[in-house]
Amino acid sequence: MAQVRLESVTKMYGKKKAVNNVSFDCKEGEFFSITGPAGAGKTTILKMLAGIEKVTSGTIYFDNRPVNELGPQERDVAMAFETYNLYPHFSVYENIAFPLRAPKREESLSPQEERDRVEEIADFLGITELLGRRPAQLSGGEKQRVSLARVMVRSPRVYLLDEPIAHLDARLKFSTQTALKRLSGQLGTTIIYVTHDYREALGLSDRVAVLRRGVIEQIGTPGDVYHTPSTDFVARFIGDPPTNLTDGEIVTRDGKTLFSAGDDFTIQIQEGLTEAAEKVARQEGDKRTVRLCIRSSHIKVSRDKVSDNSFQLPVYAIARSRQGPMCTFELKDSFLQANIEEGVHYDMSEKVWLDFDQDHILFFEKTIEISKR
Amino acid sequence: MSRVSINHVYKTYKGNVEAVRDVSFTCEDGEFLAILGPSGSGKSSILRMIAGLEEITKGEILFDGNVVNELTPSERNLALAFESYALYPLMSVYENIAFPLRAQGLGKGEVGKKVRFVAEELDLVDILKKKPSSLSGGHQQRVSLARALVREPNVTLLDEPISHMDQRVRAEMRARIRRLHDELNLTTIFVTHDQAEAVSLCDRLAVLNFGELQQIGTVDEIWNKPANRFVATFVGEPQMNFINGKIETPQEVSIPTKQGKMTFTYSGKVDQRYVGSEITIGVRPQQIPLSLSKKQEAAIAGSVELIEFQGENAILTVKLENLDNTEVMLLVPGERLGQVGESVWLGFSPEIIHLFDKEINISIETQ
Repeated sequence: MAQVRLESVTKMYGKKKAVNNVSFDCKEGEFFSITGPAGAGKTTILKMLAGIEKVTSGTIYFDNRPVNELGPQERDVAMAFETYNLYPHFSVYENIAFPLRAPKREESLSPQEERDRVEEIADFLGITELLGRRPAQLSGGEKQRVSLARVMVRSPRVYLLDEPIAHLDARLKFSTQTALKRLSGQLGTTIIYVTHDYREALGLSDRVAVLRRGVIEQIGTPGDVYHTPSTDFVARFIGDPPTNLTDGEIVTRDGKTLFSAGDDFTIQIQEGLTEAAEKVARQEGDKRTVRLCIRSSHIKVSRDKVSDNSFQLPVYAIARSRQGPMCTFELKDSFLQANIEEGVHYDMSEKVWLDFDQDHILFFEKTIEISKR
Repeated sequence: MSRVSINHVYKTYKGNVEAVRDVSFTCEDGEFLAILGPSGSGKSSILRMIAGLEEITKGEILFDGNVVNELTPSERNLALAFESYALYPLMSVYENIAFPLRAQGLGKGEVGKKVRFVAEELDLVDILKKKPSSLSGGHQQRVSLARALVREPNVTLLDEPISHMDQRVRAEMRARIRRLHDELNLTTIFVTHDQAEAVSLCDRLAVLNFGELQQIGTVDEIWNKPANRFVATFVGEPQMNFINGKIETPQEVSIPTKQGKMTFTYSGKVDQRYVGSEITIGVRPQQIPLSLSKKQEAAIAGSVELIEFQGENAILTVKLENLDNTEVMLLVPGERLGQVGESVWLGFSPEIIHLFDKEINISIETQ
């Protein structure tokens, strides 16, 4: 087990900054995820931790000792890649047992101990019945689980896992994620986990780092990044359906502060929230613009006016999401989606009332482009 | 618009591979129907037979009561929207959409009118002069859809149109596709392996496995009255939990525990001959109420093994205190994050209990 710390780590490829001044501190035994879209620099960070890529500047520490100059072997990490790289002539059992037989290992296992270890891991990942097969006889999803087993069978100081379940179909991903969570709890070893899938990051981790273009946007617990995202990027990246982002202007009228995204869509901002809105508002010509963020579950849709702050929009379409039925509204430059009650039907183009739960409104500066696609 | 009937259709490939076996169902005029199944279930073969891209080995396909088995794809007048867009790169968006109309020999005025109409519906008016290469993927897809819809097809066939899109675009695309279907009064058949997409868009689902139709019904029917364990497992995420039990009376089922058996009533009815039989109980993770104390009589105790936070909700793995120590999954609101090791009670109310035959896995409930 080890504590892992990055201090102002930067990685340049030619003139391109793949990783830009990244710092984080992963505690001993922590499950720490790095998530973000493709090209954010996630894998580059993992490779620097493994010692496969050199850092351009900054320092990586394992247990407070710099490891920049240590090779992959000396760091004692186990790394799983998205690609499987299984030995084709070995059985699945032999593939998984291989790291246990490596000559450099300090402790050598008896055949019985080895078998117990391999079988335990195989059972965890649901691949026991595959142990006798050759890699060529496996599906992509099975290969990926075998490759994960080969990594998890070791007892390194740190596990580095790069999209280890990305190629599994939805259902298998689900059960393998659960298995991995359980395994990590049992091993108690530090795990640094890279994924583009926010659900894996939230479900598995103690803490999550959200990366964008080589820069960390936020580090926090799964609850933090979901409930209190620090930027519009994080808000949009975490959660399905994606959170609503709507651009509008702040207007002061009769001593009240209003948010307006068109004549139909104007709401009064409650007192506790005006400061947050003012803080991120930007002057554009004679307007002060701001980006409002609210999740679909915090918008109430009904045929009756709920409060003085309700407003009306025509229904664009009704479709479902993971959270049940959902109503979509079309705004000038974005769509707005709200959960609706099971069994209630609204007609297309029917005007309905919307009411925002102000306790769950966030305001952001614009750092990402939103447009209807 | 058309009503599409599949009548005892078979598809056998070389080497006697039966891809589709005696499948019958009807997609009503104006309906949005999903053909849902895992890979190899025969769903694409059915789609290709409807489109006329594949010979029908046995049986009939009818559009509005007329057999179309011998008609070519173009004679069937279908709109096919596959994932790849295949737009003509040298033509503008306008010309791309107008192409099939010109091929039909329509006059200039007529062509212009129809292209305008469909472009407005699909929000493409601003980009009619652009070339496909300068468009985003989403726009290209809509142009491809516009080109398919401008012919006013009998049926619109969608083959996995959104499952490979970025997750953040999907919610919007679902709304767009549903809007188009409703607004243009289309008859749409949507083929997918992704149950979440099928459930999100469609009025009814036809669930296939191993080339056979397992069940056809509304989302509600499939969800609440799955015909067998395959359907029960395939639709819903996380999937339905299964627990061993025994039918005690036509209204009661029991689960064995260390302290003896616990009985639960269920809302459906079961044939008398099942009384005394070992069966499988199914309960959906989304429907099990969770509490820290025994709030209802029909409840079973367990302990939280694992918590997976998902944002809006969390998935709990709970080990039940039955004889098998069955592990079940529960979907609970995200705020309700308990502790691993915590003792909890799971409510098994009559309406959430599903019953399946242990050997042949069919549902044994009748209403």
